[in-house]
Amino acid sequence: MKPLINYPVKVFATGFVVLVLLSLPLLWIRSACETSLIEGMPRGAGYVSITPSRLVPPELENDPNVVSHSSVYGGRYTREPLSLGIADYFRTRKPGGRRSNVYLFESKGNWMYFDKKSGLIVHYYVDVPILPPIPQPGRINRPMQSVQLYIGPEGVSETQDKTLGRFIDPIINRRFDGERKLTLYDKKLRRFFKIDFNQRTIIKGPKLKKDDPHKPVQIGKLSKNTFLLNLSWQPPKIKATDEDKNEKGPPKPIIPTDDNRDAGPYLLVLDKSGRIDLLDKETLEFAGTAGRLPAPQTYFPSKDYVTPRDLLDYQVLPLALTTQFFKDPEMVRVAFGDPSYSPERSPFKVERKYLGMFAASVSRNGTAMALAVFDEKGREIKIYSKLTKQQRGRTTSVRSSKAVFFETPWAPVFTIGKSLAENLHPPILSVASYFTASAFEAASGHRALFFLPNSFIAMKGRDYRGNFAERFISGLWLILPSIILAIWLACRVSKDAVVFGLSENARLYWIIGTIAFGLTAYIAYRLTRLKITLVTCQNCGKMRRPDMAKCHRCKSDWHVPELIPPAWRVLNGTEQVPEDSAADAEETVAE
Amino acid sequence: MYALIKREIQDHIAYFVGAAIFSAVFIVISVSLTHSKGTEDPSIFAIGLGTPVATVVILGFCAMGANQMYTDKNRKISAFLSTLAVSRSRILLARIITGILAILTLLVPLAVTAVVLSHLSNPPIPMYPGMVLETFTISFLMAFACYCLGLLTGWNSSKITPTLGGIVLTCILVPLIFVKGFGVHIVVILVLFIIASLLRAWHTFMTTSL
Repeated sequence: MKPLINYPVKVFATGFVVLVLLSLPLLWIRSACETSLIEGMPRGAGYVSITPSRLVPPELENDPNVVSHSSVYGGRYTREPLSLGIADYFRTRKPGGRRSNVYLFESKGNWMYFDKKSGLIVHYYVDVPILPPIPQPGRINRPMQSVQLYIGPEGVSETQDKTLGRFIDPIINRRFDGERKLTLYDKKLRRFFKIDFNQRTIIKGPKLKKDDPHKPVQIGKLSKNTFLLNLSWQPPKIKATDEDKNEKGPPKPIIPTDDNRDAGPYLLVLDKSGRIDLLDKETLEFAGTAGRLPAPQTYFPSKDYVTPRDLLDYQVLPLALTTQFFKDPEMVRVAFGDPSYSPERSPFKVERKYLGMFAASVSRNGTAMALAVFDEKGREIKIYSKLTKQQRGRTTSVRSSKAVFFETPWAPVFTIGKSLAENLHPPILSVASYFTASAFEAASGHRALFFLPNSFIAMKGRDYRGNFAERFISGLWLILPSIILAIWLACRVSKDAVVFGLSENARLYWIIGTIAFGLTAYIAYRLTRLKITLVTCQNCGKMRRPDMAKCHRCKSDWHVPELIPPAWRVLNGTEQVPEDSAADAEETVAE
Repeated sequence: MYALIKREIQDHIAYFVGAAIFSAVFIVISVSLTHSKGTEDPSIFAIGLGTPVATVVILGFCAMGANQMYTDKNRKISAFLSTLAVSRSRILLARIITGILAILTLLVPLAVTAVVLSHLSNPPIPMYPGMVLETFTISFLMAFACYCLGLLTGWNSSKITPTLGGIVLTCILVPLIFVKGFGVHIVVILVLFIIASLLRAWHTFMTTSL
């Protein structure tokens, strides 16, 4: 029967099936080795801290009563399964998640989401009046009622109206405070908006020009994956006094500290490039640069500037000092953060001063951390995660990205296991991983099947030292076992193709394919090879294919002995040889 | 063609009955979870019961494909049918359509139940838009990919390859959902995998001598 599908299509189809089925076990092996390496790393290599934090005003930090200075701490959790696609899918789609249009869903009485169809943000809440009702200028006092508001770039309304305009691709400040104010940025409209739900107004910021380098990707609460990184700050602490009646208790903060850590008069805006800008909350205009995401020290040194896509996780924590002035001139309250206050004791004046920010980040493969402190002018102090160990009476420190591969117990075993699994991957895909090392989002790299952004060769691809040729050759050196394996398999395929009589062209394609795809191509070759039984050639004595007219080794024809009909017949009773047939038989023998 | 499909369904009616039973089991689990008022986390119960049942279902689809091809290979059914006014491509096509019908027997009632339950819970806002469609599309593709693996491994004279080969390859392929989730990437991979598997199965089936 004539096949409807030609041979190359069959080969490619088989090759793809083999590639998928081979890539999956290799992924699990790599993942198991990487997880074991990170899990095996001592806790000391998994965190960074800076003490004092250097953002607290000297009069507070150097107060004689201070028993512990302010500190900032960044610690990494090792929760590898959370980088799996299925966990990421559900986590990012739940309300409040990165890919969810539902910004808020506390209960059926308080929710907010972006309706893509109408292009409006819909917010439903129960409006609780402030008791006792204090008339405030500009505030509309209403009895408790449920409110559903539709918010568009042109206004706020209780009814869905086309005059409200349309948001296209909004990103909101997820730090939705109790003041019922929301700041958002629309990537397509290229401007910031501030919504006041109480006043039911929307304020538009100036539209960013086409050539404006700002490309905000996140505003307000800047973090990527809250399950991987813990960034916290502790204020300077003083001993508890007699007034506290808790002298033996733990030290207390020198001034009150509120958990609501806002950037004072500003809002932090994370740019696509990794830069963090300050946005004036009132004018909705950029007010300067706050800093940038710190680049962790990776095994092969990579560029100093990282983008949000390059990091497995990051978190940014601003610090502000709030001074509240009350009617009593002696009553001034100073606090870190943005403390709330009851309406009865509301200050008549509030001053907010931005002190700076802390930013921590985790490298693409999760082996290194960096913590940076930026003061109010954007000046940077940065440190990296390190493993400190005692060796021959001396204290040495090793970068965590290096320690994770070689310095911890059993680390070399898992490192070699990871390397071997990478070397069973098709060499051409490993080389492609070198060139596309920075193209993939960091978290998706952990579930990569074909291109491997977390492989050693891809790490080398992100190395900025040396020239291109040096880097590339070093990268090839890392996949040398893979190349040797591919060449050996190509030799085997070549020999086998000769035995099975494949044409010169087919043999060449198979050799090239096997060098490029290694083990995958070899398995595909074995599965697509002709399933025929070879016979011995009578001319050369080697094995030849029975379905070919000539021997593919010596090109000789078949030596088929001609079947000569016997010259005798067995008839009834006596044997009779006809004269003409006997003569024919003799002639044939003579020939 | 219709007669061929009907015959395939009759020959593999056990798989259709199994699909219907498992579909009913999943529906009961879904409904009971939706209306459970216990203090325990229902997702643990769902994972505990759902995972083994889903494993059996997926292996069942692989077994169906393997069974179809193994029976044909060893009993020469297509060789016999080819002597009639039926082409071999039609036989394979009828077989694949039967496999798809078996998968849909399981998934369509489940999808309908999921949509009905999501409407009954009546959330004030669309909480998970498109999630039902995405999860059931990928479940269908995964089940069909496993069925295709069965078609590939079933074309064998020995009993070991269709049985163990199918189980091993299915166990390798199914965790792809855990790795990639229910996004676009897995759709692309599974569609390409299905096309490649069907091409190979088609080629093998058509080129084998009668």
